[in-house]
Amino acid sequence: MRIEGEHVFNGSREDVWVMVRDPEVLATLVPGTTKLNQLSESEYEGEINLRIGPISGSFSGKIFVEDEIPPESCTLKAEGDGRAGFFKGSGTVHLSEQDDGTLMKYEGDIQIGGKLASIGQRLIDVTSKTMINQGMKGLDAALEASKAEVADE
Amino acid sequence: MIKAMDITVTVNGEVFQKTIEPRLLLSDFIRHELNLSGTHVGCEHGVCGACTILFDGMPTRSCLMFAVQADGHEIRTVEDLGTMEDLHPLQEAFQETHALQCGFCTSGFLMSILPILEESTDLSEEDLKRAMEGNLCRCTGYQNIRDAVQLAAEKMSSGGES
Amino acid sequence: MMAKLIGKRITRNEDPRLLTGQALFVDDVELPGMLHAAFLRSEYAHAILKGVDVSAALERPGVVAAFTAEDMGDDWSPGPPLVIPPPTIEDVEFYTRTQVPLVKDKVRHAGEPLAIVIAENRYIAEDALDDIVVDLEPLDVVTNIERALDPDSPLVHDDLESNLAAHLVQEKGDYAAIREGADKVIKRRIVIERGIAGAIENRGIVASWDNKQQQLTVWDTTQSPIPIRNGLASMFGLSEYQVRVIAPFVGGAFGPKIMMFYPEEVLLTWSTLKMGKPIKWIEDRRENFYATTQERGQVHNVELALTSDGRILGLRDDFLHDTGAYDPYGLTIPLNTQCHALGPYDIPNFSSDLKVVFTNKTLTTPVRGAGRPQGVYVIERMLDIAARELGIDRTEIRKRNYLPKDVFPYDNIIIDQAFESFVIDSGDYLPAMEKALKLIDYEKFTKEEQPKLREGGRRLGIGVVSFIETTGVGPYEGARVTIESSGKVNTATGVGTQGQGHFTSFAQIVAERLGVDVRDVHIVTGDTAQFHWGTGTFASRGAVVAANAVNAAALIVRGKVLKLAGDLLETPEEELELEDGVVRVVDDPTRFISLGDLAQRSNPLRGAVEPGTEPGLEATAYFGPKYGATAFGTHAMIVEVDPETMMVEIKRYIVVEDCGTVLNPLIVEGQLHGGVALGIGNSFYEKLVFDDNGQLLNASFADYLIPTAAEIPTIEIAHQVTPSPLNPLGSKGVGEAGAIPVPALFAQAVENALDVDGLEILESPLSPLRLFELFHGEEKDA
Repeated sequence: MRIEGEHVFNGSREDVWVMVRDPEVLATLVPGTTKLNQLSESEYEGEINLRIGPISGSFSGKIFVEDEIPPESCTLKAEGDGRAGFFKGSGTVHLSEQDDGTLMKYEGDIQIGGKLASIGQRLIDVTSKTMINQGMKGLDAALEASKAEVADE
Repeated sequence: MIKAMDITVTVNGEVFQKTIEPRLLLSDFIRHELNLSGTHVGCEHGVCGACTILFDGMPTRSCLMFAVQADGHEIRTVEDLGTMEDLHPLQEAFQETHALQCGFCTSGFLMSILPILEESTDLSEEDLKRAMEGNLCRCTGYQNIRDAVQLAAEKMSSGGES
Repeated sequence: MMAKLIGKRITRNEDPRLLTGQALFVDDVELPGMLHAAFLRSEYAHAILKGVDVSAALERPGVVAAFTAEDMGDDWSPGPPLVIPPPTIEDVEFYTRTQVPLVKDKVRHAGEPLAIVIAENRYIAEDALDDIVVDLEPLDVVTNIERALDPDSPLVHDDLESNLAAHLVQEKGDYAAIREGADKVIKRRIVIERGIAGAIENRGIVASWDNKQQQLTVWDTTQSPIPIRNGLASMFGLSEYQVRVIAPFVGGAFGPKIMMFYPEEVLLTWSTLKMGKPIKWIEDRRENFYATTQERGQVHNVELALTSDGRILGLRDDFLHDTGAYDPYGLTIPLNTQCHALGPYDIPNFSSDLKVVFTNKTLTTPVRGAGRPQGVYVIERMLDIAARELGIDRTEIRKRNYLPKDVFPYDNIIIDQAFESFVIDSGDYLPAMEKALKLIDYEKFTKEEQPKLREGGRRLGIGVVSFIETTGVGPYEGARVTIESSGKVNTATGVGTQGQGHFTSFAQIVAERLGVDVRDVHIVTGDTAQFHWGTGTFASRGAVVAANAVNAAALIVRGKVLKLAGDLLETPEEELELEDGVVRVVDDPTRFISLGDLAQRSNPLRGAVEPGTEPGLEATAYFGPKYGATAFGTHAMIVEVDPETMMVEIKRYIVVEDCGTVLNPLIVEGQLHGGVALGIGNSFYEKLVFDDNGQLLNASFADYLIPTAAEIPTIEIAHQVTPSPLNPLGSKGVGEAGAIPVPALFAQAVENALDVDGLEILESPLSPLRLFELFHGEEKDA
């Protein structure tokens, strides 16, 4: 499945970059994430509870960050599996400054298998879009909160 | 262990009291706890209609319900229709028009169609289609089932007299 | 003898049991102490298995056992091939790679079993699947049959040089030579995709080893109980008499219930032998989409060479056939495709290069039609294109090429699925076509109605195709007919039954021969304890091979009845008749003796059985045809395509079927209805969608669309009868006939309805989406 899109953040590119690279923020970003540990500078492992139509289950997996050019771009690779299936994907995130904030462009391919693919197929597109939207909203909120924190200090 | 629950359910006029796991499907309860194996299971996701029973008079997929949801309710299964020696007019019509082949989906069709005919035997083309399109049959191509429903409507409208 | 019952529209003996929910299906078998199995299956289509750890599953309360391939020890071995490749074809390459009971080293398709869990109930067994830890290393996947033979393609079987499972070339005449001088040569690429059989009952097995009786009983949703019994006995070192396989009522089969051996059949038997407890496994619908065999995937590169007046000079059909991850069923499907590409036509030169390829997908074995719909699609589509390009009417080009009725038996030279030369026993094609054209009023529709409707902006189209169906192949079937002392007749045969009405059609034959009521003939099918010689229900052979065995046995019993009654009534046999359950003197109906009395007298409690005679009114007989009987017919349809939604509505559907002697029109018509309905599914609604990773994307009835009552039209049937000279009843099979011509017919009718220059349909199945693409793609170019 192909994923691509863009989102404008109300904040500087550096702030957005810090957000994206913070595992604690990432954990709140992706709905259903129950655990996210940073193993090294570029490697995370975590667990996520997913529900797609009739299929639900927990998945454990890893995220690798590669080709990092702070605060501009990076490649994300992810793979994981669980009883409801497996996923494997990679994509790039690109941040650029513009007048009203920071533009994030993302694109990638994700391969899905098992029950997720065979029964949840019709709902995967919609669900992934919903999850991305929720994630972006989460990032927006995190960004606002960090601004508030900075203001408080 | 999952806590068992007590239920009381009326099936084909008989009252059953059973202690069951809350996750037991109604279809499994009917088939394997009550040994009424005329209700069949074809897909376990509510599409094929083979497991259709009457739940408080309404055609219902028994594979999509838990048995505990039937507590205090009334169920009718295919075993409540006629017997081998004395078929219900709907069953007779199925035999006369060759509306079944392997017979696996048949009880589901009977239980989907029965309440419609019990309500009215004056069926339009559209009624007929609606009565049938929720059930899958792979053997008959449906044509003889359509004929059976029409024949059953005739039999049932002349009712007690014949 | 006057036919009183054979050929009559008699309602079925088995219906009261089925209609009241009293028929036994495998999942209805309940045994004391029975355990329940569930299988852990690979989600990956291609992966190295590095380890399976079932220890956590074993700790779950209610779990009794869990086994992996390692646990099977020396009992683990790939299945024996079900059908060996034909020895009669020269230079055939065939690489036998058969399915395994549990994966040991490498997963080759999604859904292959990795472990079995046996628990107190199914719920616990399924819970325990979650406890199993599996270490799989995913590999690159091959799903596309056209890419499977590329040198850099991943290998399904690492010990082979490529994914080639088989290669053979069949030739008749000299196609290459005739092509040179042909007025017209048409080349096309045709793609046919996979579908499922879709029996509403999934597979299921109950296996029970009784240690005290040293007896194994297996209830199995198989089409082939006797070979299953023989195979299990040999696999596990038991005497065949220690193994009883029962195929009770089976909820539809359509081909895939004859795969041998499914891993589950081996595993359930192995487990009950090890544990001494009855075990049940019932496949769920999702498993059915992965673990039950499928069919149809082929890609053809076709050439048709013709004269300018539309006579076929030769056909070349080079094609790839997808066998999936293993090839236990040999070449049955693609050999059928080759034979049926010749159709009812006089094709003097034929060349077909067949390559069977392995892919990381569920295996393919025959599904109702078994390669025939693809062959029919190829020749019928090519004839449609030829007709258009040569400016000849579609029906006329067919008429010009039919084999004339005086050529039969006609030898097509190439080898068929029975490994014999493909000989057509009988045929009379033109009248079937004429009848269909008359019924659908082809002239009036094409000349008057269609032009008028087109002017009004409506897109209606008509299709007419012919087909043949090889049926009733050997080797043989048998039957035992016994008159019981009650006067009722018991008949046991080895074939299983999955809705074909054997309890009735066989009973009609026996009842006619013995003069009893059809309802008094009790048929036993599919129980090896009752009859244990035979092969099974497949290839549209029940009404040919088994029915003729029943007929033969009934005739022998009739002879015994007449002899004994003749002695007792002191009347010559020729002056006796069997009627109403008695034997009576034709001229003096007051002198009679009932069949029940005769049965008792033939089995006396006192006195001796004389040398050279047997007790009882019983006989066993077998029938094995020399080669298969070939049925045929013409289907015609009128469709309307909605140009907005591209939905296709079937306005009329005509079947003219010639399956020789019709034993029971009610049953034959039912078979045709069901076949056509499956064909309609195959044409427009049903397609298995695999992604590049071998993941099936529509593994449920919510996403894979089996037609409902709303999609299937009324089917108008006319019979023509050209009896087969190969069997005494003159019957031919009809089980698959309905499904065979539909995709070709559907394509022709829809193409005709769309009426766009240059729009050719060369694929099956279609869908509204695909039609939209074809339609708008072509319009843009125009």
